[in-house]
Amino acid sequence: MSEQTLVAEDIIKTRFGEAVEADGRKGYEGYLVKREKLVEVATALRDEFGYDYLSSVTAVDYLPEDKIEVVYHLFKSTGGPSLVIKVDAPRENTSVPSLVPVYPGAELQEREAWDLMGVKFEGHPDLRRILMWEGFAGHPLRKDWREAYFEEEGKPFKSRWPDGHVYRIEDKNPFAKNVDYPAGFDPESWVPEGEAALYAGMGAVDVGSNLRTDHVVVNLGPQHPSTHGVFRMVVTLDGETILKLKPVMGYLHRNHEKIGERNTFLQNMPFTDRLDYLSSMSNNFGYALAVEKLMGIKPPERAEYLRVIMAELTRISNHIFAIGMFLNDLGAYFTPALYAIQERELILDIFEAVSGSRMMCNYFRFGGVARDLPEGVLEKIRSLVVDRLPRKVDELDLYLTNNEIIRARGEGVGVLTPEQAIAYSAAGPVLRASGVPYDIRRADPYSIYDRFEFDVAVRYHGDVYDRYLIRMDEMRQSLRILQQAVRDLPEGPIQEGKPQYQVRVPAGESYGRVEGPKGELGYYIVSNGKANPWRYHVRAPSFINLTALETMAVGDKIADAVAILGSIDIVLGETDR
Amino acid sequence: MDLALLLEWIIKSLVLILILLTSFAYLTFYERKALARIQVRIGPNRAGPGGWLQPVADAVKLIFKEELTPAKAYKVIFVIAPMLTLLPALIILAVVPFGSSITLFGRQVSLGITDINVGVLYIMAVASISVYGIVLAGWSSNNKYAMLGGIRSSAQMISYELALGLSIIGPILLAESMSIGEIIDAQRGIWFLFLQPVGAIIFWTATLAEVNRSPFDMPEAEQELTAGYHVEYSGMKFALFFIAEYMKMIAVSVILAALFLGGYRGPFVDQVPLLGPLYLFVKVFVLLFIMIWVRATLPRIRYDRLMAFGWKLLFPLALTNVFLTAVGIILADTYGPAFLWSIPLMSILAFLVVNYLARDRIATASAQAVSFRR
Amino acid sequence: MLIEYLPIAILLVISTGLAALIVWIGNTFGPRRPTLRKSLPYESGMNPIGPGTRRMPVRFYLVAVLFILFDIEVVFFLPWAIVFRQLGLFGLIEMFVFIFILLVGYVYAWKKGALEWE
Repeated sequence: MSEQTLVAEDIIKTRFGEAVEADGRKGYEGYLVKREKLVEVATALRDEFGYDYLSSVTAVDYLPEDKIEVVYHLFKSTGGPSLVIKVDAPRENTSVPSLVPVYPGAELQEREAWDLMGVKFEGHPDLRRILMWEGFAGHPLRKDWREAYFEEEGKPFKSRWPDGHVYRIEDKNPFAKNVDYPAGFDPESWVPEGEAALYAGMGAVDVGSNLRTDHVVVNLGPQHPSTHGVFRMVVTLDGETILKLKPVMGYLHRNHEKIGERNTFLQNMPFTDRLDYLSSMSNNFGYALAVEKLMGIKPPERAEYLRVIMAELTRISNHIFAIGMFLNDLGAYFTPALYAIQERELILDIFEAVSGSRMMCNYFRFGGVARDLPEGVLEKIRSLVVDRLPRKVDELDLYLTNNEIIRARGEGVGVLTPEQAIAYSAAGPVLRASGVPYDIRRADPYSIYDRFEFDVAVRYHGDVYDRYLIRMDEMRQSLRILQQAVRDLPEGPIQEGKPQYQVRVPAGESYGRVEGPKGELGYYIVSNGKANPWRYHVRAPSFINLTALETMAVGDKIADAVAILGSIDIVLGETDR
Repeated sequence: MDLALLLEWIIKSLVLILILLTSFAYLTFYERKALARIQVRIGPNRAGPGGWLQPVADAVKLIFKEELTPAKAYKVIFVIAPMLTLLPALIILAVVPFGSSITLFGRQVSLGITDINVGVLYIMAVASISVYGIVLAGWSSNNKYAMLGGIRSSAQMISYELALGLSIIGPILLAESMSIGEIIDAQRGIWFLFLQPVGAIIFWTATLAEVNRSPFDMPEAEQELTAGYHVEYSGMKFALFFIAEYMKMIAVSVILAALFLGGYRGPFVDQVPLLGPLYLFVKVFVLLFIMIWVRATLPRIRYDRLMAFGWKLLFPLALTNVFLTAVGIILADTYGPAFLWSIPLMSILAFLVVNYLARDRIATASAQAVSFRR
Repeated sequence: MLIEYLPIAILLVISTGLAALIVWIGNTFGPRRPTLRKSLPYESGMNPIGPGTRRMPVRFYLVAVLFILFDIEVVFFLPWAIVFRQLGLFGLIEMFVFIFILLVGYVYAWKKGALEWE
C-alpha cells in the first residue's frame, strides 16, 4: 500500500470509527462497513470525501464462511483510484440497506444483485427481478444453486471423458428430462404473466369516464425493430408524450457470470467476447487487466502497444457503427448505417488478420496477446488510421452533423444534466456528453495510456445531439492515439513468460476497468487460488447506462425514446449478460 | 349515348389500371435497386435475370401468405380500410391527360380518362380522401401502434394540406383554368417550374407528406411504431396498402409533372402524339428517383415539428407565393410579358427571407429548449 | 357537361372491383389457421394491456379546427384564380384585402399559441 492510501485510511478510520474496518484479508482491499451504518457512511463518502460516482455494486457468495458480501466500488468523478466498501450479510434472509437514495445509479445493479444473488435491499424503490423472470425459483449466482443440467462445479468437466472418450452431455442428460414444470403447466400455451408488479408501477390503464382521455401503457420491445435487440421499454403515454418509462431486460440472459465461474480463467477470455459483441477487443482488455492485477504480471511493451491499437480500433468501429445505427433510429433508411459499416468492415479485416476472427476476437492473453501482427498488417493499420479513417470521419461529419432534421430531432431531447449523469452512474460517451470530463484512460490510467497525447472529449448539453457529437470527437481522439501507437510500436516479445493453458491466480480480489467504447467496463474477480474464479462479475456499461433512461425520456415524445435509446448505444449481449 | 364511347371509356380505365399496376410492381423494384445503389449494395438480383422477376416473386409470396385478423378488431372496417386506401390512388389520375389524342381504329382517342374543368379541385378532393383509409385502418386494428399511426396520419394531413392547396393556385393563375389539360397546354412555351419555383418546391414537399414518404413517413414510422397503421395487416390486405402507397407516389409525380413540368409536352409532341406518354414517363421516372433519393438520405422528422413546419413555414410561404404570382401577372399584363419573370425573382427572394427567418427561429427554439430543460 | 364525369364513375367501379378482387385473392389462396396467439394484437411480442382502441388525447385539436377554416378559405382562391386576369388590378386589391383578413386570423391564432402543442 502506498503512503497516500495509508493516510486516506487513517482519515477514514478516524471519521467513521467503529462503523468501518479495513479489510485485512490477503489480497483484498477496502473497508468492511457495518450493515446499519452503510447509508450513513456512503452519504459521508459522497459528500465529504468526494466519492460521488458509484461504479459497481455486486455481491459475492462466500459459501464456506456462510456469508454474502455486497461490494461497492466508489470513485471520484474528478479521477483517481477506487474506494471499495463491503457489507457482510448472512446467507439466510440476506438483507442490506439500499443505496439508491444516495447513489441512484445503484437501482438496476441492486435489482440485479437481488435477482441473481438474493440480497434484499431494504428501501429500494422497485426491487423486482431484472434478468430472470418473475416466478423463477432461487437465485442462480449463489454457490449452492444448481442449474438443471448441472454436471460439475468447475471446468474442465472430468465426466466428459471418463475413459478417454468424449461424449456429449445431451446424450447423458437429454433435454427437458430434468426440467420440472408445475402441475398443469403447458409451455406451448403458456402466456407470460406475473408482470402485475411491473404494470402496477405504470399508472392507471382503465378506461375513464366520458370526456377523459386515457393514458396508454405500451410495450416497445422485446420484438421491436429499434430496441437494438430484445430490449423492452414499457411506456405510459399521454397521446405521444412519455409519462413513465421502465426498461425491462433479460430476454437474452444466459447467466454469463455463473458460466464464467464454472470456466477456468483462460476459458473466460473468449467468453468475454460475447458480452458486447461489437467490441470484443475491449472486453478482452478489461478482463485481462483484472486477472493480471491478481497475478501481479505486466505484459511486455510490444503487447501493450498492440493492446492499445486493438482497443482503439474497436472504439472506432463501435462508434462509427453506433452513429450509423443512431441515424437509423432517427428514421434514415440505412444509408448512414451502411456507409458506417463499410468502414467498420475494414477494421474487422485487421481483427481477422491478427486474431483469426472478425467479431469474436479472443486476442488478449494474461500477460500479453495471442499472436503478433502478421506481415503487412501494420502497414494496413497505418494507412487506415493515417489516411482513410480520418477522411471518412470527416465525411460523415460533413454529411450528418449539420443536417437540419438531425439537429431538430437531437437538440434538447433526452437531456441528462452532469449531476444526474454522475448520480446515475452513467459512463462513457453518455457521461462525457453531459459535461463530465471523465475518461478512465485519463482519470485512472491503465496500460500505457499515460504515454499518449489525446484530449478527453466533452460536450456540455447532455442531449441526444451531443451524445452523437461526442462519438465523432472520440473517434478523432482515438485516431490520434492510434497514429502515435503505430508510430512508436516497438519490437520485442508479445507475451510475458510462457503461454499457459492453465494460469495460476493467487487468492484475492481485483477490479479491472477499462474505458470501453460504451463506457466503463469493469470486471470484478475473486479468486480462491483454484483453477476457476470464485466470483466473476461484469460491470456492464450498456446495462448501467440504462438506469438514466427514464429520466432522459420522460416528457419527450415516443419518437424521442427511440432516439434516446439509440444515443445511449446499448448491446443486448452486454445488457442481459 | 354512344355504346362505342362507353366501351372506349371502359377500355381506357382498364388500361390505366393495368399500367398503374405494372408500374407499381416495377416501381418497387426500381426503388429497391436505386436504394441499393445509393447504399453501396447490389439490391435484388436473384429472381429472374438481374432480379427482374422480383416483383412477381413478391406478389406470389403475398398471395400465399396467411392473413391474420386480430381478435376484437372491427372486422368490417378492418377489411374495408385497405380498399378505401387504394381507391383514391387509382382514380386520382382520371383527370390527367397522358398525351394528346391519337387516332386509333378510325377514332379520335384522347390519351386520358377524361378532362374535367375542375381537374385541380378533383385532385385535391381525392387526395384528401385517402387519409380516411389510413385512419380507419389504425382505428379498427385494436392495436396501439396502429392507433398512434392513424392519429399521426390525420395530424399530418392537416399540416400539409393547406400549403398543398395554395401551391396549386400558382399554375391555375398562370393558366387561367383548373383543367389539367389546359394547364399543360399553357406550358407550351415554358414550364411553370421556372415561373413557379417556390410553388413547385412547396408542392413537392407537401406531396411527400401526402404519400407518407420519408422524411414524413410518420404514420408507419418503422423505428417507432413498428409499422404504424398497417401493423396488423398481412398478405394481400397489406399488399393493398403497399400498392396504394406506391401508386400514390406515381400519381403525385404525374400530377407534379402536369402542373409544373409541362406534363406530356416536349419537342415534336404535336407532330408525333405518341411521344407524349414517353416524355411523361421520363419526367415521372426522374421525379420518382428524387423521392427514392430523399428516402435514402433524410431521417424522419418528428410529427409535432411537421405541424409547426407546415403551419408556420409552408403556409405563409405558399400564401406569399400566391400573392406574388398575382402581382407578377398584373405587372406582365401592364408592362409586357417579360415581367412574368418577376414572379420567380420575387418568390425566390421571399423564399430566402422566410428560410433565413426560420433558420434563426429554429436555432433559438432549440437553444431555448436546451436551457429550459437544464 | 356531366357526361365528362361518367368515365370517373366507370373507373371508380372498376377500381372497387380490383380492390375487392385483391382481397378475394388473398382470402382464397392464403392459408387460414388462426390460433389464440396469432390473433393477439401485436405489441412487440408482449400481451397487450388494455384495449388498443381508446380515447387518445389529440393535442392538435385546435389546429384541426383552424385547418377546416383555412382550408375553406383556400377554396375561395380557386375561382378567383381563374378569373384573375379579367379582374386585373381590382382582383389583386380585392384578394389583398382577403389575404389580409386571413392573415389577421392566422397571426392571432399563432400569437394565442393555437399552433403550439403543449
